[in-house]
Amino acid sequence: MILLQLAINGVLLGGVLALSALGFNIVFGVMRVVNLAHGDFVVLAAVFAAYEFAQSGINPLLLLPLTIVAGFVAGALIHHLLLRRLPGEIASAEASSLTLTFGLSYFLTGAGLATFGGRFVSVPYLTGAFQLGPISIPQARLLAFAVAVVLSLAFAFVLRSTALGRAIRATSQNLDGALACGVDVDRVRTLAFAIGTAVATAAGTLMSFLYNLNAQQGVLFTVNAFAVVVIGGLGNYTGAVLGALVLGLAESFASYFVGATLAEAAPYLLFILVLLLAPGGLRGRRAA
Amino acid sequence: MKRAAAVLAALVIVVLILAPLRLNGYAINLLYITVLSIGLAYGWNIISGYAGYFSFGQIAFFGVGAYATGLLVADLHWFWMPAAFAGGVLACALAIPLGYVMLRLRGPFFAMGMFGMAQMVRVLVTAIPATGSGSGLFLPPGSGITEVYYWTLAICAGAIALTIWIDRSAFGLRLQALREDEQVAGTLGVDTTRAKITAFALSALIPGLLGGGYALFLTYIEPDAVFSSRLDLQSIVMAILGGLGTVWGPLIGGLVMTQISEALWARFPQIYLMIFGGLLVALLIALPRGIVPAIADRFAARRNA
Repeated sequence: MILLQLAINGVLLGGVLALSALGFNIVFGVMRVVNLAHGDFVVLAAVFAAYEFAQSGINPLLLLPLTIVAGFVAGALIHHLLLRRLPGEIASAEASSLTLTFGLSYFLTGAGLATFGGRFVSVPYLTGAFQLGPISIPQARLLAFAVAVVLSLAFAFVLRSTALGRAIRATSQNLDGALACGVDVDRVRTLAFAIGTAVATAAGTLMSFLYNLNAQQGVLFTVNAFAVVVIGGLGNYTGAVLGALVLGLAESFASYFVGATLAEAAPYLLFILVLLLAPGGLRGRRAA
Repeated sequence: MKRAAAVLAALVIVVLILAPLRLNGYAINLLYITVLSIGLAYGWNIISGYAGYFSFGQIAFFGVGAYATGLLVADLHWFWMPAAFAGGVLACALAIPLGYVMLRLRGPFFAMGMFGMAQMVRVLVTAIPATGSGSGLFLPPGSGITEVYYWTLAICAGAIALTIWIDRSAFGLRLQALREDEQVAGTLGVDTTRAKITAFALSALIPGLLGGGYALFLTYIEPDAVFSSRLDLQSIVMAILGGLGTVWGPLIGGLVMTQISEALWARFPQIYLMIFGGLLVALLIALPRGIVPAIADRFAARRNA
């Protein structure tokens, strides 16, 4: 029975991790940028939601549209004003985008600490649980999971069935091909980065139900998103959902069987093993 | 020009050696941290700047050095200098099999793979009772900051000398060839596996040696203090800011960064992180290749004009 309970907890956590990872994945897929500030967007949204809930009792779900728009605008500005200006052709292009998002990560952490302080906060909302026989399903987790699924489906719809989605997929698959077909790659990148941060802030709002956080916890979510994306295969979106479930289950089982301290190593161990044994990810092609 | 540089270098060395005699506690601590960070940046620059394998986990070797020293000094009552030396050798020895496995990964995969590796080592140290678990390890008092400073200064100087040698040697050329295009380097007869594992081992030796001194400096070590991702990232940023894969980049970047960092910390503790991050982004946009290459370009342009 305990196994079933752990599995349910893992799946519910995996749903929210999947949403966050989709944002990370689109940025890497389109731009080949590992966004080290990804987790900071997640955490800032979470802390903001908890702060607003404590101050004025606003339901975080009502804040969701606002945080998504704010994340989108911030992402578009960051790409347009900063990332776009990095030279693309020199050997250290990868290094400079890593450094830039690293600096951004510090900036966001600092801004979060200065605005909200360093206290760990969460949203004490729907603290009850549904009892199904011996299994209990925490309501807040279930709600976060459901909203994450809805948002992930919306994300999938944009990617699959809109002109923008086609342009985004074309740019990730073959940059030269996309350019030759008249895709405005610069615009696609701006929008992809904006969508990536908007998804991160949306996921963060939901994370406020699940975790006690302060502005310094961003790196945790960057690593989680990276692990999920590596497990699923970079640039592979169904793979990312699978990877998130694997990671959610691994964290849930590991913290029960080996304790919280060693369970911290679970995402790292998983992604190093996947990198070494199946470099294309569980759902990916064999990497070139 | 050459002569002026040599005189300047000699002057700087003399000042750095005499510095502890005149400085107060705060200033010597600051000087120690500056030299330590520059040394770490030089260590990182070999594998990541010259060989192009961006690592986010070299701090693991720093932590291994610190813990090895801590255990040898606290439990086996070694004198700290041979213990710190042993820590460096251990880090270097660990890097060879580890590099053999990890250096199959490339680009962001290697970078984050090494980050994960460092975190796993940290978690392991926290879980093993012999290292005092998460609660840490006390070192017996006895050696002052001055000795630790000289140790660190010597290693930092050694790292600079090593970098100068690499920059001029065939080994350095092999590293740069594999950075630009590993496959082509391989077809030209470069034993890429051997070259990058050697670079990786050297990049582990330096933080390994520095870690022992840091353990003595702290006198009490715990996993979060010696596997500090902050120290790691700071040294990476120094090397990039100064100029990746250049001889003087880590030094210049390190001097600029520690001074800025210290000045901001003293004046704006509340929004220090924010300004620090913003400044880093601004510098990167202004000088994408780093300070040293930017200056070199300017000189080259003037000579050609």
